[in-house]
Amino acid sequence: MAKIHEITVWTRGVIMDKEGRDIASAFGDAVAMEGKHVQVFDNYEDLPDRVLVTTRKYVRISDEEIEHKYVYTNDHPDVVVVAEPTIVKGINVLKGLKEGGLLIINTNRPIDYMLQFIPNADELGAIATVDADGISGVRTIDFSGSEGGVDAVGVGAGIAAPIVGAMARVTGMAKKENLAKIVKDVAGMERGYNEVKLQKFRKFKSSLGSLQG
Amino acid sequence: MAQEKMLTGCSAAAQALKLAEVEVICSYPIRPYTAIMMELSKMVANGELDAEFVHGEGEHAQLSVVLGASACGARAVTGSAGVGVTYAFELYSPVAGGRYPLQMTIADRTLDPPGDFGSEHTDAMSTRDQGWILGWASTPQEVFDNTLMGYRIGEDPRIMLPQMTCQDGYFISHIPDKVKLADLKQVKEFLPPYSAPHPISTTCPVSHGPQIRPDQGAPMDAQRAATFLDLPKVIKEATEDYNRIFGRNYDPFLEKYKLEDAEIAFFIQGAHSNTCRTAVDTLRKQGLKAGMARPRWVRPWPTREIAEALGHVKAVGSIETSTSYGGAMRGGNLIHELRASLYDLDERPLTTSFMAGLGGETIWPEDFEFMAKVLSQMVREKRAQKYVYWIGFEE
Repeated sequence: MAKIHEITVWTRGVIMDKEGRDIASAFGDAVAMEGKHVQVFDNYEDLPDRVLVTTRKYVRISDEEIEHKYVYTNDHPDVVVVAEPTIVKGINVLKGLKEGGLLIINTNRPIDYMLQFIPNADELGAIATVDADGISGVRTIDFSGSEGGVDAVGVGAGIAAPIVGAMARVTGMAKKENLAKIVKDVAGMERGYNEVKLQKFRKFKSSLGSLQG
Repeated sequence: MAQEKMLTGCSAAAQALKLAEVEVICSYPIRPYTAIMMELSKMVANGELDAEFVHGEGEHAQLSVVLGASACGARAVTGSAGVGVTYAFELYSPVAGGRYPLQMTIADRTLDPPGDFGSEHTDAMSTRDQGWILGWASTPQEVFDNTLMGYRIGEDPRIMLPQMTCQDGYFISHIPDKVKLADLKQVKEFLPPYSAPHPISTTCPVSHGPQIRPDQGAPMDAQRAATFLDLPKVIKEATEDYNRIFGRNYDPFLEKYKLEDAEIAFFIQGAHSNTCRTAVDTLRKQGLKAGMARPRWVRPWPTREIAEALGHVKAVGSIETSTSYGGAMRGGNLIHELRASLYDLDERPLTTSFMAGLGGETIWPEDFEFMAKVLSQMVREKRAQKYVYWIGFEE
């Protein structure tokens, strides 16, 4: 079996579903541009057509071909991205996280403030925050409709852009230059890349790509 | 040249329906088949497809609308999933009995309770005695191909029957795969325009579906049964034409994978046959002569072809992705008809069944290895220990 890095993106139904999907697909596309094997998909069991319910999007990255495509959850993510910060209050977003994994939250609050809502933060290798709402100035752009809906506004025009920029910086899994070819809001992506804040913990491992501070 | 694209099963179905130039579409949303209707509605809105798009107020209405459309001579399509399929149940017999060759495109979903998006074939399987042509695809490509083949077979003047073209929810409906599309010219060569023999008309009135006397009922049933005897011939012709025109290589009834010298075989329909094929290869590397048979159609059931393909095998395990509670074999549906198909052979394989992939669970390569162990043990002991094994619940 191929060694696979998993990224799970948490977002909310309808109002932010497209942003969550953009984060996963833009990041996955950028990684694929480096010749890696990538899968990007929605969690099939979630309810993307119900407003504000938590929904998940997944990315899988590997140097080898990923044989199995019938498994529709990332059970052991290396990276967890939370596109809407209140999600951490109600859900154990770190469930199944690989030891020393990474959490990235879209918030303008200090890291220490966010940590009080994450009781199992001791499993983390590092936590990063990016104020994507502040950078984009808008929360979301459009609901494009899941499952074959029209996507007229393009990918990465809202908060997805700064978030993928932040992800590129702290995971080292994707190149900023490649993301710039994919997202619509390139300036927002660059700001996310530059403005992300990172705090490393004892379990921090450099094995996770080339994790950069 | 026909294009090749990465498409989900839902998109593949919509692309084929567009090429079939369907004239009336009736939708009602339910995951996972909904995406087929979303694609079709886009095509109609963009002017790529000249069809009447009707929003039904439920699945019962959906089937009623396409029944009427087909009675007027239109090529009609509707579709559903899970409990949507069962909500429409009353209409299945009238559609088949009225000989309306419309198509229902289905992406399977588990029935309630309590509600689950996963694929399980019980939804469409439970309609199998209603007189429809019924079959499962195993890839988005096959969804595309079966959609076109369905109309050709169903609309054949010798047949005139509705078709359910099924695909597993999520596994096929939502995962993109390579799909070779077709040119309209190829489709025109393969699929003639639909011509209803007695369409409802304002200028030439005809009666459809009048009340009949009891003594008129049996002849109609006998006629329908006789049509099903003619179906294999028509399916064979249509598949051969399809293979020739579109450059495919389908067996009309059964995909046979490494069966020639097989000692044990899996009998499986739908998406999980892809994992099964890989498992067969792995088992063969371990020295076990394994094979796989995959039925493409459940109605008509390929009795003779199954006897021919599996007669020489020592043990066959039927993998059941649908339920038949309290049935003869205490588990699924396929095993009953598989055993019946093998019964008249002088020397017949041992058989058992495996409940797997229910509720949309993935069937893992290791699950197939477990099943192979059971089948090998049956060969050694020359007997089956159980009618059914529930994968994941066995010691």
